[in-house]
Amino acid sequence: MFPPIPDFSITILSQTQLLKMVVELTRHITTLFNFSAPEAQKISLAIDEAVTNVIKHSYANASDQQITIEYFLAPGGIKIRIFYRGLPPEIADEEVNIGKMIKKKKKGGLGVKLMKTIMDSVVYKTVDGKNCCEMIKWQKTI
Amino acid sequence: MKNFQIRSKIVNGVAVLYLKGHLDAHQVARFEKEIVRLIRDSNFRIVINGQELNYITSAGMGIIMGYIDEVREKGGDIKLCSLAERVYETFDLVGFTEIYDFVADEQAAIAKFSHVPPHS
Repeated sequence: MFPPIPDFSITILSQTQLLKMVVELTRHITTLFNFSAPEAQKISLAIDEAVTNVIKHSYANASDQQITIEYFLAPGGIKIRIFYRGLPPEIADEEVNIGKMIKKKKKGGLGVKLMKTIMDSVVYKTVDGKNCCEMIKWQKTI
Repeated sequence: MKNFQIRSKIVNGVAVLYLKGHLDAHQVARFEKEIVRLIRDSNFRIVINGQELNYITSAGMGIIMGYIDEVREKGGDIKLCSLAERVYETFDLVGFTEIYDFVADEQAAIAKFSHVPPHS
């Protein structure tokens, strides 16, 4: 039900200074396609977290790599694919335990929890030989 | 205008950090530097005033998670106050609102430290 070709795509360099632009762009696109402002804010946050993970973990903060973000729109929903090279992030299967993380003085590990809490689907896979983080969000029906 | 600004002051022996703007992975090093400076200077009673904070990601929340145990071990705490609803909601999404002390305003947050000596 999502189109085979993205409605919109952007390729950026792997630089954290560009995160805010990605957030603003995602918020704009999702608002344009009838997501409420709070939902658009959350979807933008999930994309921020996914792109940050790619920059920090897949590219080890190298600033000269490429990240492509594709937006697919369907009635009532949006699919966002983030393409990158480098290592896929390590995703723990078990539920994040904040208490344990505090005791271990961990600073990372919350991003994927946020993504999974916000989006209806978060899948890491390979598409056409490229690493891809695919996220889907459906609009809430009242 | 800068995307993210941070300043601090001591109020009644409590270190109050004022966060303003957009706190993401690009800006988080400045936040961590300030938290580390406060702890190094034996300020273990910390209030984060987020009245002017309009966005936070896991990078910023992770800094609080990474240092709160050390602060609590020293008899202090990191309390958060005056957050906008959407920022509070981000903390709630990861379950922080059940673990950390969120207070309506700065005065109330500082008052919560009244029984704790400044340098435990």
